[in-house]
Amino acid sequence: MASHPLLRHLAGEDGIRRWAFYVPVAFMVLFFAVPVALTLVWSVFERTIFWMEPGFTLDAYVNFFTSARAENYLFSMIHSAVAVVVAFTIGFPVAVFVRRRVPTAAQHRVILLFIIPFMISELVRVFALRPVLGRNGLLNSLLMKIGITSEPITVILFSNLAVVIGDVVSFLPFMVFAGFLAMEAIERYVFEVCDDLGSNTLRTFKDVIVPLAAPGIFAGSVFIFVNSIGVALVPTILGGPGAVNAGLMVNQAIVALDFPLAMAISAIMMLTLLVLLFIGHRLFDLTKILQPIN
Amino acid sequence: MQDSYRNPWLYGAGWAYLLLVVAALLLPVFYIVYISFNEFGFGARIYTFTFDWYRLIGADTILVASLKWTLALAGAAMITAVPMGLLAAKFYKRTRRKVAFVFLMLSPLFVPADIMGSALLVYFKNLNGIFEGLGDILGVSWFDDWFGLGFITALIGQIIYTVPYAFVLILITMSRYRDQQTEAARGCGATGWQAFWQVEFPQIRVGVFSSLAFVAILSFNEATRTALLKGGFDTFSNVLVAQMLNIGMSGESYAMAGTMTMIAILVIGTILVVTLATAGRAGRKALPKAEPVATAS
Repeated sequence: MASHPLLRHLAGEDGIRRWAFYVPVAFMVLFFAVPVALTLVWSVFERTIFWMEPGFTLDAYVNFFTSARAENYLFSMIHSAVAVVVAFTIGFPVAVFVRRRVPTAAQHRVILLFIIPFMISELVRVFALRPVLGRNGLLNSLLMKIGITSEPITVILFSNLAVVIGDVVSFLPFMVFAGFLAMEAIERYVFEVCDDLGSNTLRTFKDVIVPLAAPGIFAGSVFIFVNSIGVALVPTILGGPGAVNAGLMVNQAIVALDFPLAMAISAIMMLTLLVLLFIGHRLFDLTKILQPIN
Repeated sequence: MQDSYRNPWLYGAGWAYLLLVVAALLLPVFYIVYISFNEFGFGARIYTFTFDWYRLIGADTILVASLKWTLALAGAAMITAVPMGLLAAKFYKRTRRKVAFVFLMLSPLFVPADIMGSALLVYFKNLNGIFEGLGDILGVSWFDDWFGLGFITALIGQIIYTVPYAFVLILITMSRYRDQQTEAARGCGATGWQAFWQVEFPQIRVGVFSSLAFVAILSFNEATRTALLKGGFDTFSNVLVAQMLNIGMSGESYAMAGTMTMIAILVIGTILVVTLATAGRAGRKALPKAEPVATAS
């Protein structure tokens, strides 16, 4: 133990130990918030042959909005929206079922089942869809075996459909987790009241569950939407030559050493995310998702 | 409408649907593991079980080197991200600005890997330039390459990615802990550290160990941020991506994907079994202790 009063003070609870709790905040500000905020600044820098230099030009944005990139970005937003709808349709009923019908003590254990696919590398999960969706893949073999088709279907893999499937497979567990977290904030007696009043399943779902679980549904949806636009892996592995999203455009800009353009696309992406989160927070108060933790 | 509690068919259908979704997510992955053990690879009519593709991985020096780098990164991420997650969870309990803090800690989950990786890449290149410039002004070479792309920058990228998970896992476990226990321990003369280590930590241990395993797996699986920030070395995932895109899907690629899958399942399976066993044991222990209190009240 330090004997000098100053050393004792530094080692004590008002000294280093107290400030240690600020380390994560400092780290996240320094290596997350600052770089992400600076993308906006770098996006207006002037491009040089291999790098960029300080200045103010909107060339990168002009380049983005006057080329096929803007159109591709919009298309990737549409695909992502489809992926969100599909993930909600498949995943949210799972969260509702677990919360409403599975005994309370077992609910978390059941949700843990979705940890397994989530923790297997996204790269592997996306890669694994190739031998399933391909011409000689599992799906075609199955369809031909049961007589639904006599020829292999070749339009699934390397298409926008494959990208949507890849996004859903990659991010579906998040819809289940976020949906379940939101459902946990709803007291079970709410469902009992609905049952006692004779409300049918559809009406309970539409008028009670969805409005109450809206923060979780929204958080899960934003996560899937933003990652579908921004993760380059899925269109790279499953999409055809024309399949592009924001993440892939950023990668291509970096490979072309056009750093201001890469940063401009990142900034547009971050702006999309912030606008969505702002709207979501105003509409649904996203802090409600944290209720079970509090 | 009849309640599914009273309708075993509806209840069974719910379970069947849930298991179907899990199976649909896992089936493609298990399929490639299955292919990885076929001597003739994907698409062959004959299936002959073999370990040959896995033996090839073991004999490939590039792959073995990449595996070592991957394990080193995962180890470093574990020993940095988990304590940081723990400190963040403790900070969350103390701070009054909970919403802003949670927003900061969980935001990396919402930023796609390519966007985060490229922002950090440009950030580190700028920082490196600034530090080298500073070194030139001071006439020292000590600042050179502090933020040059390499192990440290890749590690920082992985910490940003994994800390939110560690934070949430520990926070969930911590939410069951009563702060009055710390106060009681301090009242009995324990130091802050003793109160934490001897009273609080045993109760949040499951969350801490789970986050260690989670961080290890997330780091092991990570490809995109690492590819942008790693500099001159390769990780296992990066080699797999390069093989898939440049060579195509070979038997070795399937075996690499199989290796990653089996490691993930092994680690997560162990966590699940330990967590469930611990929860069961805690429940059995808590019951006899709780009964007299309930009777007395």
